[in-house]
Amino acid sequence: MANIKEIRDRIGSVRDTMKITNAMYMISSNKLRKAKKQLAETEPYFYALQAMIARVTRHLPEGTEDVFLETRDDIPYASRAKGYLILTSDKGLAGSFNHNVLKAAEEHIQKNNTLKNYKLYVVGEHGRHYLQRQGFDIDESFRYTAQNPNLDRSRDITSIIIDDFRNHVIDEAYVVYTTMKNSISCEVQCKKILPLDIIQEARDRFMPIDTYNEEFLFEPSAEAIIDNIVPNFINGFIYGALVETFCSEQNSRMMAMDNANKNANEMIGQLTKEYNRQRQAAITQEITEVASGAKAMRRAKAAKMKKKAALNENTRS
Amino acid sequence: MEKKTFGLQVMSTNGIFYNDRASEIILPCIDGEYAILAEHEELVLAIYDGKMTIRDAIGDKIIAIVGRGSCQVANNRVIVLVDTCEKPEDIDRHRAQRALERAEEEMRQNKSIREYYTAQAAMARALSRLKNSSDYGID
Repeated sequence: MANIKEIRDRIGSVRDTMKITNAMYMISSNKLRKAKKQLAETEPYFYALQAMIARVTRHLPEGTEDVFLETRDDIPYASRAKGYLILTSDKGLAGSFNHNVLKAAEEHIQKNNTLKNYKLYVVGEHGRHYLQRQGFDIDESFRYTAQNPNLDRSRDITSIIIDDFRNHVIDEAYVVYTTMKNSISCEVQCKKILPLDIIQEARDRFMPIDTYNEEFLFEPSAEAIIDNIVPNFINGFIYGALVETFCSEQNSRMMAMDNANKNANEMIGQLTKEYNRQRQAAITQEITEVASGAKAMRRAKAAKMKKKAALNENTRS
Repeated sequence: MEKKTFGLQVMSTNGIFYNDRASEIILPCIDGEYAILAEHEELVLAIYDGKMTIRDAIGDKIIAIVGRGSCQVANNRVIVLVDTCEKPEDIDRHRAQRALERAEEEMRQNKSIREYYTAQAAMARALSRLKNSSDYGID
């Protein structure tokens, strides 16, 4: 059994760890609030953009050709080169946050590819290390951090992906990221961003011949407009995904730290109990020692007296 | 005389910039500026980096520096969606200057085509921000 000093040291170290986890909890909640505010600001723009793209594609004149309208349906699904933008965090200590994203991404890659024609764009150190260890082929020059998502970074990422799409390096692009379902649980999403599904839907929609359909004038040209809004939309999407991921990361970390705090409290409680028990045992033992020592002394004294008395009796008689 | 107005919404990634009636809006396009008045015909317009001018319902001028985006006119309602939208007085000239220098440097290094275009776009953004904020004597 551990002695008192050991237990005391242990309690001290748990307390110190708790100070750290507590601080991390606080920092995460602060960052989460900031990121959420940022996201709320971009939301109206993003939804309007989505509506705009749908509207524009519905009214596109016949014969408009643009790279973003290509579907690459001529290539069989499994052999289409797919690009994956995988959003993870830079740091661990966030529960199963990274694990979930990476698992989803791995599954998707294994299921939908012939395992040769994929390209990974990984954001966050954690994911990069993991996928490298698993033997995946990662674009080495793609180095972006998951911290403090901003528009500049998402613009860079967007231009890289769009460029690869334009040059037929990839035929489809997916984003694997985490969204917050509510403040307790997160959910991994895998969304296709290129070619755009909303364009596809808008084009496939059945149009009765004689419905009223406003004629739009495209200035300077329909292609120019598509070229202008689609990258913006994808940028918006990626930015949103970056922020959502960042929020989820902070949230997961908050939960993990909260759990750590709870566990630490429990541990401290148990250790304190143990400590008190040990202390009590030591005290009891000491008292017993003193008491039995005193008793022994008394007994020895009594024996001595008795002996003396007996000796006196003997000499008298 | 009562001015004819239209519903105008200007949105960017930083949030909603303008959401009210307006009497005129002038937008930067690839080949110059495009002004839209009330009851304009149905139109979709591509917007490029530059200066946007709004005249609100009573005729006051609101100026903003916008990034790339698009504008849709339908049923006397105008929706402007742009990458960025800032008032000239909010522009941080030092930041814009730094961005410009960085873009110039990158263009000189002459890397891949993509990097070149990215740098070019960044340069256009920085230049338009610098130019338009200096018009207002902010330095």
